[in-house]
Amino acid sequence: MFASLAVGLYLLGLVLRNQQLVTVAVVLLSFLTYAAFRTTHADVASAGRRLEENDSDEGIQLGGISALRKVSSSRVFEDGEIDVVLRIQNRTPMPKIIEIRDRVPEVMRIKKGANYVLMELGGRRETEISYTIEAPLRGFYTIGPVCVRIQDTFGLFHNEREIQLYDDFLVFPKMEDIKDAMIKSRVPKIFTGAVNIRNPGEGSNFYNLREYIPGDPMKKVNWNATARSGGKMMVNEFERDAVSDIILIVDSRAISETGPVSRNSLVYSTRAAASLAQHFLARRDSVGLVTYGDEIVSIDRDTGKKQLYVILTKLAGAVAKGNTPLRVVTNRLMPHINRGSPIIILSPLEDDPTIIDAVRDLRARNFMVTVLSPSSIDFEFDARRLDGVGYELLKTERDILMTELRGLGANIMDWEPDMMLVTALAGARGF
Amino acid sequence: MAEEGTTDTSHLYDGKTVRSSAPSRKKAAGRVSQSTAIPKDAVPETKVPTWVESFFGGPLVPSVRFLAPNKTVVRLQTASVTVLLLLGLVTFMITPSSGTAWFWFSNIIGVPWFSGIIHYLLLIGGVVVGAYGVLQRDQRMILASQVAVILVTIRFAGSKVEFAMEALNIGSELIQKLLLIFYALFLVMYIELSSGVIRFSMLDTSIRTREVYVMGQERIIQKYNRSLGTTPAIAGFVALITLLINVIIPAFVGFFDEVASNRLSESVELTSVYGVALGTAMVFGIIAISFSVNLPARIQKFQEGRAD
Repeated sequence: MFASLAVGLYLLGLVLRNQQLVTVAVVLLSFLTYAAFRTTHADVASAGRRLEENDSDEGIQLGGISALRKVSSSRVFEDGEIDVVLRIQNRTPMPKIIEIRDRVPEVMRIKKGANYVLMELGGRRETEISYTIEAPLRGFYTIGPVCVRIQDTFGLFHNEREIQLYDDFLVFPKMEDIKDAMIKSRVPKIFTGAVNIRNPGEGSNFYNLREYIPGDPMKKVNWNATARSGGKMMVNEFERDAVSDIILIVDSRAISETGPVSRNSLVYSTRAAASLAQHFLARRDSVGLVTYGDEIVSIDRDTGKKQLYVILTKLAGAVAKGNTPLRVVTNRLMPHINRGSPIIILSPLEDDPTIIDAVRDLRARNFMVTVLSPSSIDFEFDARRLDGVGYELLKTERDILMTELRGLGANIMDWEPDMMLVTALAGARGF
Repeated sequence: MAEEGTTDTSHLYDGKTVRSSAPSRKKAAGRVSQSTAIPKDAVPETKVPTWVESFFGGPLVPSVRFLAPNKTVVRLQTASVTVLLLLGLVTFMITPSSGTAWFWFSNIIGVPWFSGIIHYLLLIGGVVVGAYGVLQRDQRMILASQVAVILVTIRFAGSKVEFAMEALNIGSELIQKLLLIFYALFLVMYIELSSGVIRFSMLDTSIRTREVYVMGQERIIQKYNRSLGTTPAIAGFVALITLLINVIIPAFVGFFDEVASNRLSESVELTSVYGVALGTAMVFGIIAISFSVNLPARIQKFQEGRAD
């Protein structure tokens, strides 16, 4: 603006032959030139001019300014906090007034401290900037680069450089404590575990009574029941303890991100999948994960904490993309899992004409299907992006689809935005 | 337990109201407009700069709300108003209404004194509005004042310096040009100080809202204060050299040829505004060369070497 004004006044002065205007223009130009001179002067050390002269073992260098960052953790859960300490060094003997902005992902919130600092850093001095960020949404994130800006004292000119210093971190989906999701497999695996399944066998929980068959151990005879049955010997049957194979299918198609950034089907699905995985793995079940969007990504069934970490990492990186139909997923999946294993599908159930066929196929092969469906219609409606008529129409279509799926013997739950996961799961179980 | 007849389920789920199916869905649906228009929040806002903003490289008057001024801002406000008053005084002394558009207009309508009224109204208006703008930190007022103060000086005039006050009919060219430079410096300082008021208010607001953290604030302000002294002095000196080119060139030529020197010093073109243009071209040519040979970097290197 100053430069435009100076040039304008100068030209106007020449046209009007007005020495007063030309004088103002000359003073303005001199003022600007000196300010520019000072800026260039100050910026020499940060312009990368002597990059090769600096040691490269202490952070990434940019001329006379170097930066080194430490983050408290590279893995947090949603709503978790990360402490960042950025050390800035001025390696030149000249003091500098610099603006430092450590770029943090847009969705992150600065909870404590500041990532944007204006400072006067003396020659051969260093300082530390510390701040805390809160990570509200799952994903892979990067802190950096560090933007360094030097400007003249009047703020007329500035030079900006980026120090290519990056730190990656991972935000896992938030997990809820699910005390008892009550999803059990009807098919036992060869080794016993803490989970009871709905088949009789060697276990600890009472299953039912039956007539005595020769060969049954006498300790299993229920004498009270025998007395009531009028002479027939009755024995107790127990539920077989076993480890279940649980398959979690997460819909990460493009449509699953419909709704606000922090409240959409994919966010809810990943949180639910993380909570379920943690719950089942804690019970020593074997849990596998399939996410489908533009491609089908699967994590083979396994147990233990390492599996939880693998699942959480995959969920953190789930991106809404593509439109793979559910049937393609189930067709590929079915040959590899035991019949009767619980399959939990987390999907908004939208824009996929193969859903009914896919669930029918699974049910036909005796898989126990539970569908937990975050209602993206409600997300949209709550965000006032959907009018009343549209909402009612879509809701009706959704209700019809759910009724049809229930008719196939699947446990379906319409998971509305305000509903807790435990409640939604309880609804899916029908109690 | 919830009272009978109520639908509140918060007692069941840790204080969170849970709906198995939304009871208020129809009611809510009825409230929402049934228009099929694209919702406002679905379209990202785009700000297309006007041609004026494009020309000046950004919005002329950014709308920013400030917190109460701190000590630095108050000091800058005081300095800005003082410089504005001095600018008004110098403008009053050295800028006659002759040659202005309103001078021409009042001559056409046959009321010559009318031009003086418009002229001084503009000047006083510029000062009053500027002072108000600086104290209130209202950028629109500051801009209006700057426009008014510059507008007063836009006039068709001869190349010779003319003064509004007859008492100031100074013969010395050096003093005339010094006065002009003082006028120009006051104007530039007013522009800088008033924008400094806004900048430091923005910075203070950012600090207090914790958007930015400032380390060594006092030293930064001291540096700014020092620059406020040195930069105008240097700008004034450069401008003086530029304006006195009609003295410098003949003096330089005088070493070789006295006759040519005398002719040059009597040259109407060299003493006029075009002489100033020539001086500007020469001085800024030298500055451009110094930048092209990376002189600032060399000075920096020299200073660093000395500090080592």
